[in-house]
Amino acid sequence: MSILEKVDKLHHAIAWHGDIPITSRYTAGIAGERFFREIKDHGRFLGTRCEACALTYVPPTMFCERCFAQLDGWVEVASTGTVFTYTVLHLDLDEKPLAEPDILAYVRLDGSDGGLIHRLGEVSPDQVEIGLWVEAVFKPEAEREGSILDIRYFKPCSSRGRCD
Amino acid sequence: MTAGIKEFPGTSLKESDFEEGNVLFTTWTPKAEYAWDAGVAIGRYLAELKEGRIIGVRCRHCRRTVVPPRNFCEWCFRPMDDWIALSDTGTINTFSLCYVTWDMKRVEEPEISAVIDIDGTKPPVGIMHLLGEVEPDDVKIGMKVKAVWKPPEEREGAITDIKYFKPISNI
Repeated sequence: MSILEKVDKLHHAIAWHGDIPITSRYTAGIAGERFFREIKDHGRFLGTRCEACALTYVPPTMFCERCFAQLDGWVEVASTGTVFTYTVLHLDLDEKPLAEPDILAYVRLDGSDGGLIHRLGEVSPDQVEIGLWVEAVFKPEAEREGSILDIRYFKPCSSRGRCD
Repeated sequence: MTAGIKEFPGTSLKESDFEEGNVLFTTWTPKAEYAWDAGVAIGRYLAELKEGRIIGVRCRHCRRTVVPPRNFCEWCFRPMDDWIALSDTGTINTFSLCYVTWDMKRVEEPEISAVIDIDGTKPPVGIMHLLGEVEPDDVKIGMKVKAVWKPPEEREGAITDIKYFKPISNI
C-alpha cells in the first residue's frame, strides 16, 4: 500500500451516507415582531426614526446604526417605493428552469432610508428599470400570517402622481 | 464568569409562546445530507465485510498487523505494506453490559458491547462490536468468539454486516 494507491475497483469506492436532522426556528426580534404584526393586522409598514441623524429605518431597528442611540420613535412608512436595483431569475433553487422568470428587486420605500427585497409582479422583465415606482400588494387580511410573504409582490404604480 | 449575573439581557420565550401565537416565527429544516468518503483503506475494509471477510494491514517495519486498515502506520509514519486476510474469530479484550439505548431509554435485556481482539493481528488489536448468543453472566475476558454474519444478500458493506460475535464453544 502506498500513498499513490488508487481505488481502481468501483465496489471499493465506498462513501458512508447519512443525514443530520435539524430544524431551526427563527423569531423576528422585538423590532421585527412589531414590523410584521403591523403588516399582518393593518397591511402597513412601520419604521423607526432617529431624529438626531435624520434617518428612518425600514425594516425597523432597535438602534441607530450611525449613532448607536436606542430608537423608540415609530413612524408609518408608505407602501410605495422605487426600484433601487433588480435581477431577473430564470432558474429555481435547484437550477431547474422556471416557467416564468421571477423578478427580484430591492425597493427603497418612499420617505424612508431603508427598503425591502421582494418580488415584482404585474410587470414583464423588459418593462422593469431602476427608478420604477412600485407599490406593495398585500395578501387579503385573512391569509396574512406575519411574514414577509404577506406581501405578494410589488407592482408598478399607474402614474407618478397617483398610486392605487 | 456568569455567576454574579442575575438577569440576562434578551427576551425569554417558552414553547407555549410559539404554540399560542404570541410570537411570530418561521421554521427552517435544512437538507443536511452528507456522504463521507471512506477512503482507500476503510473503503476496502467495508467492501470485504460485504464479502464476509475481515481484513487488516501490515507494517513490515514495525512488524505489526492491525485492523481496521489504515494507509499509514501511526508508529513509524510509513505507508502500510500489505493487505492481510484475518479470520473472523477473536478474543474478548473487554466488555460492557449496556442497559440503556443510545437515546437513554431503559432496556431490560442488556446489550453486550465488547472489544474483540481479532485473530491474526499482531500485537492484538481489537474492534468494537456486540456479543450475542451468550448470557451476560457467562461473558469473560479472554473468551474466544466468532463473528455471526448477516446472510450475503442482506450485507451492505458496513460493520453491521456482522450481527454480533458469539462464543466459539457454542458452535
